[in-house]
Amino acid sequence: MASNRTAPERSDALSPIRKLLHSSTLRNWLLLLIIWEIIGQLRLVADGALPAPSAILARLWVDWSDYPPHILATLEGASAGFLIGNALAIAAGVLFAIFPITQRLARGVNVALFALPPIAVSPILVITFSGMTPRIILAAIACYFVTMSATVTGIQQTDRRIVDVVRAYGGRQWKTLVHAQMRSAIPSILAGLRIAAPNAVLGSILAEFGGGGRYGLGVYLIGSLGRGEPDRLWGIGLSATVIAGLAYLLFSLLATRLTGASKAVTVPASPPATKAEKNPLVEAALITVSFALPFLLWGLLLSIMGTPAMIAKTPLGVFDYLFMMPNSPASLGKLAMALSETLPMTMIGMAMGLFFAFALALCSVLYPAIIRGFMPVALVTQTMPLVALTPLLVLILGRGPSVILWITVSVTFFPAFVTMAQGLSMVSRAAIEVPKAYGAGPVKQLWLVSIPASLPYLFAATRLAVPRALLGVMIAEWLATGKGLGNLLNQSRGYLDYGMIWSVAVVSVLISVLFYQIVVAIEHRVLTKRGMAPAQ
Amino acid sequence: MSAEHGITINHVSRSFKGRGAVVQALSDVSLACPEGSFTALIGPSGCGKSTILRLALGLDAPDTGDVMISGMTPFKAARSGKTGVAFQDAALMPWRTVEDNIMLPLDVLGHKRADYLAEVAKLVDLVGLNGFEKALPGELSGGMRQRAAIARALITRPEILFLDEPFGALDQILRRQMNIELQRIWMESRATTLLVTHGIDEAIFLADRVVVMQSKPGRISRVIDVPFDRPRKPALFSDPRFHALEKEIAEALDGQ
Ligand SMILES: Nc1ncnc2c1ncn2[C@@H]1O[C@H](COP(=O)(O)OP(=O)(O)OP(=O)(O)O)[C@@H](O)[C@H]1O
Ligand SMILES: [Mg+2]
Repeated sequence: MASNRTAPERSDALSPIRKLLHSSTLRNWLLLLIIWEIIGQLRLVADGALPAPSAILARLWVDWSDYPPHILATLEGASAGFLIGNALAIAAGVLFAIFPITQRLARGVNVALFALPPIAVSPILVITFSGMTPRIILAAIACYFVTMSATVTGIQQTDRRIVDVVRAYGGRQWKTLVHAQMRSAIPSILAGLRIAAPNAVLGSILAEFGGGGRYGLGVYLIGSLGRGEPDRLWGIGLSATVIAGLAYLLFSLLATRLTGASKAVTVPASPPATKAEKNPLVEAALITVSFALPFLLWGLLLSIMGTPAMIAKTPLGVFDYLFMMPNSPASLGKLAMALSETLPMTMIGMAMGLFFAFALALCSVLYPAIIRGFMPVALVTQTMPLVALTPLLVLILGRGPSVILWITVSVTFFPAFVTMAQGLSMVSRAAIEVPKAYGAGPVKQLWLVSIPASLPYLFAATRLAVPRALLGVMIAEWLATGKGLGNLLNQSRGYLDYGMIWSVAVVSVLISVLFYQIVVAIEHRVLTKRGMAPAQ
Repeated sequence: MSAEHGITINHVSRSFKGRGAVVQALSDVSLACPEGSFTALIGPSGCGKSTILRLALGLDAPDTGDVMISGMTPFKAARSGKTGVAFQDAALMPWRTVEDNIMLPLDVLGHKRADYLAEVAKLVDLVGLNGFEKALPGELSGGMRQRAAIARALITRPEILFLDEPFGALDQILRRQMNIELQRIWMESRATTLLVTHGIDEAIFLADRVVVMQSKPGRISRVIDVPFDRPRKPALFSDPRFHALEKEIAEALDGQ
């Protein structure tokens, strides 16, 4: 699912970096920098909210002594989370790949972990745990899904012929895993880790937004937001980006070092596994368990930790709070009000982000020069803790509703564009050239080949965009507009209204999961009708 | 001659459910390869040759009927290290060097590599891959990969050897050479061998018996004995009796 961005690049892990250093690209970047400098010097954007690069660097120089404890704190949370999250993810991935039924059982947990907006659970984590733990948990969650699905894909895509050789010598599950599957999954896992690394940094920063702790780049960022010093904010944002980028680079290098020799030498021709007959009763049981499991785990975790029920609400506790208490109607009303503000924004922002991404990706088929110029920029944003940079947008765009749209569009656009452009670039030349040979013009080619062929990637991009859009809206509401779920969360934090904190978290996770499931269902219908497989 | 120690295939049927359609890959196939015999399996593409091999290796299970290898189930035979196999496509692990690929069966069976180093060198020499021991499969030509796969099939000194078009990617000259080498190896080891091939000449040159299959549904249509003495010399390829047999098999393949 989220690993869709890992697969196409696997063969050439460093290509984005190489593209960055390409001379014409380098020129574009320089140009961008110069324009930025001029805009900054002339204070053209929102009266200096976008400072010149030179000013940011100067400020960074002045503030430099403040940075080390913040950077260290963020790194500590991020790397502990990275280690724990990925260890769990790889173990889970192996389990899921070997016993597919476990994957179906854990589907609810997996989707919830993928779709949960980190900002929504960060206050919960801060009130239930202490110290570094919230950061570690969010960083681990940010890594989990990418690496887990990369592991599953890697193992499942093991060349069947190689597995057969091991099995022909009497090797069963364990031997096959050791000699064939784990090794052949390494490139995929590394590609997953490459994306997980900046994710971990982002997770840690988002947890820091939720409070708790004096140090961390997120703490520093939030603390500086109120002081209206754009150049400092930008300095912090850039440092976070550089750290995330370095983490990405580290794993890119590792991947190219380790996986040079792993490409299959011929195309495997083993037939696809035939699907077993489905028993509707078993199916229903599986779906029920998969749905109930996240709630069971949630209750179980809390009861193991023994946090007081006042603070830590179990699923039942949340239900009580929303439906059984004297002031339940009031709480429900607040929640519904916030939802009615958040949902439209999320949908509009997501639709706009996806639309721009789709349009630009299609343009890049017609005019490949666009992709060459723009792709490196888009790829860099993959490593940026973009969501963590939203305070900068708040600064530029003010606190009106437009900031929400901008933030949502910007957090959905880039990953969607990268997914779609990479998908489209894999549409075979031959397929495009057939209509061309019959004299079809560019638009006709798009209509006949590129658009139908890009459908799986459009859906993959949408799946990816759903939780991001909600996250973007909630952060904007939290930091800027004072409306919607994000604001309700922030307020409840102030009033120590624990029931509401939990309710908002649960509702936003449920909404995200619901959206996600709707996309998956539509995707399934549309693609099966056309005999296509979902893009991983 | 004792079926106890060879390959016994008893009224085996196997069908595959594709999308909607059912493919009858094998329909009531029976075949006994006595210990130490060399059987060639020939037939049109898709007639179920590879499926027979997969059943005999325990990679797949028949719908009805049973398969015994040396009096054991295929899986037990495989686990005891009695069998060796070279698949239709080389199926080398791209991350292992040629040497390491050849030693893969040892790793799976839990044998000590150190006991087999001389054997590896001998096999590398035999298949003409000297100097490429440390090469990765990606750096080899298709034919070289196939030769590495043959060496891998022989590393455990198998009692039962399964070869699925092992020389498919080789040129005619090399193929003849490998045929002669294979005969020599077989005469030394006397492993019960089942060779799948598309080459009629190869089948006659190597086998005691040629089993001709037909497709839709996959079945055995004729078994033709090959009377020539061993060791067979390359001159045999131009013998009139050889040509007569070639014609007979070609006709059997045409369904006459
Ligand atoms: N796992 C599978 N799933 C579905 N159909 C299969 C499977 N394996 C084999 N078949 C079908 O069974 C039939 C026999 O296949 P098999 O690979 O045994 O043919 P073969 O005789 O080895 O052909 P070739 O000479 O081309 O290698 C074919 O029609 C094939 O499509
Ligand atoms: Mg075959």
